[in-house]
Amino acid sequence: MYDHNGEEIFVIDGHVHLWDATEGNITHEGGEEFIQCFYDYHTTFTPEERQWSIEEYRKYGAERMVEDLFENAAADMAIFQPTYLTDFYGEGFNTTEQNAELATEYPERFVLNGSFDPRDGEAGLEHLEELNDTYDLQGVKVYTAEWRDESKGWRLDDEAAFEYLEKCEELGIENIHAHKGPTIRPLNRDAFDVADIDDAASSFPDLNFVVEHVGLPRLDDFCWIAAQEPNVYGGLAVAAPFAQNRPGKFSEILSELLWWLGEDRVLFGSDYAIWNPDWLVEAVLEAELTQEDRMEYGVEWDLETKRKVMGENAAELYDIDIDEKKRQFREDEISEQFGLEDHYASDAPAAADD
Amino acid sequence: MTGPPSDGLTREAVRDRLDRVTDPELDRSIVALEYIDGIELDAGTVTVHLTLPTAWCSPAFAWMMAADSRTEVEELPAVERARIYLHEHMHEIEINRGVNAGRSFPEAFPDAEDTVDAVRAELDRKARTARQYDAVEALLEAGLESETIVSLRPRDLERIDGDDRLSIYLADRAIAVSVSAEPIDRYLEKARETGLVDAETDPLFLTPEGEPIDPDEFELVHRRGRLAQVNMSSQGGICDGLRESRERRLEVAND
Repeated sequence: MYDHNGEEIFVIDGHVHLWDATEGNITHEGGEEFIQCFYDYHTTFTPEERQWSIEEYRKYGAERMVEDLFENAAADMAIFQPTYLTDFYGEGFNTTEQNAELATEYPERFVLNGSFDPRDGEAGLEHLEELNDTYDLQGVKVYTAEWRDESKGWRLDDEAAFEYLEKCEELGIENIHAHKGPTIRPLNRDAFDVADIDDAASSFPDLNFVVEHVGLPRLDDFCWIAAQEPNVYGGLAVAAPFAQNRPGKFSEILSELLWWLGEDRVLFGSDYAIWNPDWLVEAVLEAELTQEDRMEYGVEWDLETKRKVMGENAAELYDIDIDEKKRQFREDEISEQFGLEDHYASDAPAAADD
Repeated sequence: MTGPPSDGLTREAVRDRLDRVTDPELDRSIVALEYIDGIELDAGTVTVHLTLPTAWCSPAFAWMMAADSRTEVEELPAVERARIYLHEHMHEIEINRGVNAGRSFPEAFPDAEDTVDAVRAELDRKARTARQYDAVEALLEAGLESETIVSLRPRDLERIDGDDRLSIYLADRAIAVSVSAEPIDRYLEKARETGLVDAETDPLFLTPEGEPIDPDEFELVHRRGRLAQVNMSSQGGICDGLRESRERRLEVAND
């Protein structure tokens, strides 16, 4: 938990990965381009002394990930968002199965999301059921721009995608995280166009659609859709590290999000290992809205809003009881490993509930 | 005083022409963004070297900037031919070959399914929306009411004091309000380019979708203009950052 002027803030990192981009796993030049592009984002928005080498970045492993997330209690829990990219990486870049290595070892600390791709047809629907049987999914991450043979992407409002969304409803998988980030490929189309979220969200009012990276560079389209669809949420991954070296921009982006979506529909995520919560959580929580933005937008980045964005909103979507978690973490394996028992024991409100 | 060379061609003239080319995602001039690395003149042939902030910049956007550069420079009467060389881009070979041979985007990229027209139209729409915000802000500051602003037409504008002020005539030309011309000209340039404000009697300002603005929706439309600006400048922040980190990396490599 983050100690914010004596107030505790429970942090659920809504967007983490355990990936493998080692040369041996790359089967298409796109795989090398992809990790290099990620690395540019990493170095651009990471303080110089916290930057990794490209070798560390290709594969960091489960042990290091646990240390980065939990050693200093920067995060209390994290949600795995898989990215398959199996046309680029032999064993996949960051699949549900790869993430399950850690998620099943520390189920109290991780939420494990699955994934689907409507181009897999019937077999994909069966696979989603199997994933759900194995891991009891509450969410999926989808990557609409992923290449597959001749196809250069798909849309969430495709008929085929609707079949998958119906399957999610049936299986109780309520949270659909869609990656909507910078345009790289395919070439002439904008595969991360956010317009498909609109129809999907209004057609499936019982599902929640979390647009990762708040649609950047389509923040405008995203906010406009989210303002009209109450089941659309914004994931802060990519926007969050602006807090560190573009504080004025961070203030503007956050003000827009709070104005259009309100404080209940914005979720923190680090996109680990692109950025590391061990410094990012602090950068975001210590950031301030500029006086001009507070006046113009009439929004606040105050304790109550921070608690929601950093943890409570994700807890709501994933049925996480934060007080119960605090009790559990007084003696779980992670707290024992890093000597955090006292950190969680010192929480007065939770103790009063005993 | 010595005049320009007899063919009238200078680097400055080429640069001024390139200043009309924008990064379509940021709606800022590629000259102001410092994407131009060099301009070479050789008789009637002009060679322009360009580097974008990142090698991963969308191929469609990179194509637009390179193709627009060629078109603009070739508008100069003294230029017979412009060659554009994009550097440090993952698709520089396809783009340089395609643009300099006058091919279309799908001819240059067998992977592409269509031209870049739809992407360009979408980015133009956003640029218009963002520019409208500044124009409307100027009018609000000059004291105009929202009902008045949504009812303005191009014929209500009149230029005074040379180029930098405009008069806006209200109440059957009984009242004139003077405002800075710059934000309104900048908006009108994009609105006219996209064919939305054509006749003198067309509504001057529009929703992002290109419809007249209902007075009740004025505030919301105005907020959407601000949002379009924040989106562009945020992306500008990402591009700046990516360029800085690439420059740092090149410095280290050259040390």
